[in-house]
Amino acid sequence: MSFNVKDVILKEDRPKTLLLQKHSDYLATYGQNKDDYEFCMTEYLRMSGIYWSLTAMELMDQSSRMPKEEIIEFITSCQDKESGGISASIGHDPHMLYTLSAVQVLAMYDRLDAIDVDGVVRYILSLQQEDGSFFGDMWGEVDTRFSFCAVMALSLLHRLDAININKTVDFVLSCMNFDSGFGSKPGSESHAGLIYCCVGTLSICNRMDALRADELAWWLCERQLPSGGLNGRPEKLPDLCYSWWVMSSLSMLNRIHWVDKKSLEQFILACQDSETGGFSDRPGDIPDPFHTLFGLAGLSLLGDTSIKSVNPTYCMPQETIDKLKLQPQVLHI
Amino acid sequence: MHGRVKVRTSEEEKARKEKERQEKLKIFKNVMQKIQFKRNEGELDQELLELTGNVLTSNPDIYTLWNIRREIIIIYKKDVKMKENMSKLYDSELQLTEYCLKINPKSYGSWHQREWVLTMRPDPDWKTELSLCNKYLKLDERNFHTWDYRRFVINQCQPALKEEFDFTTEKLFDNFSNYSAWHYRSKMLVKLYPDVEGGRPIEDSHHKHELKMVQSAAFTDPDDTSAWFYQRWLLGAVKNSVDLVVSSVTTSKSFLTFSQYVSKEFVKSKVQIFINKTLVTPDWSSCTGNHYDKLWLFKHNVSIEAGMDIKVEFDKENGQKQIVSCVPAETLTYVGKGNINFQKYYSEPVLKELKDQLESCRQLLAMEPDNKWTLLTTTIFLNCIDAKLYHNEVIDNLKTLQSIDKLRTGYYEDLKTRWCIENQLYRDYESNDLVYRVSFDDKITCLPHLQYYSHCEKVDLTNQNLTTKVLPSLILLQNCKVGDKGVRQARCECRSFVLCLHPYSRLPVFALYDTLCSLLICDLLTNFAFFTDFECDYDLVL
Repeated sequence: MSFNVKDVILKEDRPKTLLLQKHSDYLATYGQNKDDYEFCMTEYLRMSGIYWSLTAMELMDQSSRMPKEEIIEFITSCQDKESGGISASIGHDPHMLYTLSAVQVLAMYDRLDAIDVDGVVRYILSLQQEDGSFFGDMWGEVDTRFSFCAVMALSLLHRLDAININKTVDFVLSCMNFDSGFGSKPGSESHAGLIYCCVGTLSICNRMDALRADELAWWLCERQLPSGGLNGRPEKLPDLCYSWWVMSSLSMLNRIHWVDKKSLEQFILACQDSETGGFSDRPGDIPDPFHTLFGLAGLSLLGDTSIKSVNPTYCMPQETIDKLKLQPQVLHI
Repeated sequence: MHGRVKVRTSEEEKARKEKERQEKLKIFKNVMQKIQFKRNEGELDQELLELTGNVLTSNPDIYTLWNIRREIIIIYKKDVKMKENMSKLYDSELQLTEYCLKINPKSYGSWHQREWVLTMRPDPDWKTELSLCNKYLKLDERNFHTWDYRRFVINQCQPALKEEFDFTTEKLFDNFSNYSAWHYRSKMLVKLYPDVEGGRPIEDSHHKHELKMVQSAAFTDPDDTSAWFYQRWLLGAVKNSVDLVVSSVTTSKSFLTFSQYVSKEFVKSKVQIFINKTLVTPDWSSCTGNHYDKLWLFKHNVSIEAGMDIKVEFDKENGQKQIVSCVPAETLTYVGKGNINFQKYYSEPVLKELKDQLESCRQLLAMEPDNKWTLLTTTIFLNCIDAKLYHNEVIDNLKTLQSIDKLRTGYYEDLKTRWCIENQLYRDYESNDLVYRVSFDDKITCLPHLQYYSHCEKVDLTNQNLTTKVLPSLILLQNCKVGDKGVRQARCECRSFVLCLHPYSRLPVFALYDTLCSLLICDLLTNFAFFTDFECDYDLVL
């Protein structure tokens, strides 16, 4: 038997404690230098970048280190007057992904008045198709990620009734696979990130009953590898962001105890960069705000009390979700 | 940023690299500015195609640049002068995407552009596209973008399904570890060989054939997980129908529970209740307020007395009508039992195959007793073949699994609970008692099939390994009545309540539900201590 499990080995000199101050410093300085190469090259996803950084900062109770007014002004200027959608950055086109990020950021700031809410609703509604699916933008790409963006953004705006919920749910369910997981469209292979999107959609639409919960949760807990880290599909390497996609899905399924929390925590902590701060996908790689958020959010789900409680459906602080009086569904067990 | 290893470099090297990057950045910013300027000025022309193309070859994820290209192509398409050049334009667009995919085979933007071009042009060459898929799948057999693109191409050119099915066989014989191919195969299998008459997902002879194939794959390398998932699916691919499990009528309300979540429409159209031969036409509510639920109830205005004739009729999926008589269990609680069945049913040939495979598994296990996948599969086989007969062996196996697969002890605990409760339920279901008490030694960790106990007045969950996670599901215990005096009083003042801990806030939240549902969890209220994770340092106020 020559089979090797695809996994990493955690080194003895890895970080073993949570370096909160370093992460806060990392995010506070990220993007301060507007001529930084990485920063400029990722302009096409700036709006999501802001969401990752701000949410991470919120979870650490450090959001005062973010330039609030500048961010709000930026978001306002990224809304397309005509379609109502919001773009990643100035000069880019509106898209569902960045429309959601913008709404999430403004919800955390309690400043939804900074955009034309009716415009956002109109934009999202315009992207729903006859079969219940959503386009990412006017160019017709279909993906369950966009279904999740649609219901999440609308629910944060208390306008979920604007779209056809039954059809939205039916489309998501048409993406269910033999392993009870979900892919990006009907016929696509199961993937933990898209499972999060589909379970999240059902959680917001209050239709968690439609899942094959035990089978799905078993597949999800089988993502855990001997290193403690989680992969996103069978026979793949672990990646820190799956700590979020898998664990949030398991939380909505009320079966988070099906993974080993202790070894996952060790893996997440090992992905910290002890020099610069921030988390990376795997120990020893370059950190970024995306993995920094999902590292912190994952630790929050594991019950780390030095981080604020995160809502598994919205990936936003629970206090924001409470304030908005939203109650995404968690399955009874 | 995925998979970028941090490398240590000298200060000198760092400075050199930074200088290089700043130069690159300057050029990048200039081009981006020019692109934006031209777009704003409406100069959607050849030059803009070149500019965007240049940037995309190194940054294929800048989605707006693809949008600009599409805008230009659409304009050209409408232009009669361009008519002869269009085919060339489409070709070069395809070349660009192919170039970008070489740089980043996971670029959403490039894949979508390719799809878009092929749906735009009047002369798409699907054969070329299919061979492109084959080529890319050779480079990376798990790239889900390539698989998705393949499905798009197949959907357009519609070859015989069997060809694609054979393609998965070929891929799997290259490498049994190719989970993407197993996945694709599952889609083909149910389309090619559905069991139309029997209502099973897969026709018998093919079900058996697949079981054989997956077994040989799994045995080739028992540590590779892909085939085991496919096998587990095949084992669960049996006919599944909704059963009416318990019907209860008490002095204040009636409630029905089902084996699965059902809608109000389902209950309304499939169930009829007769009290003293009079049809009751209730307005059903679900116990949680959700549209799909396992328990549906209504408050009735008939006064319930001893000696009444209460019947429930249920239209089963097979067209038969099931008639359930509700008999008095306690003075004024009438309970009717419907069907109870947790055993999976296979056809004789499939069952025989399962038994043969069980034997092979046992042999493999004898050689490698600590192999998790072999032991798990043996256990699943036992449960599928005859859960009652093999119950003790199954439970022992799960305990062994807990020690050899430590990362998933929580899963095995809950599975053990489920199968022990199923085993106990067969006996409890025969009894007329209104009692739910765990009658085996292992402690339970969750409350599976709780709707089967919805009629119970006495529920004893003390001394189990339950956590507060289960609290919301206690709403299924619609007839639970045991508690001390204080709690009864609370019940009088506030007739309907459900207690729940919000799963994600760290403090318990007590919510009052103003519905028909009156859930009593008195034992729990007076004795929270038995929840293993409950810490409460303040008084409970109802």
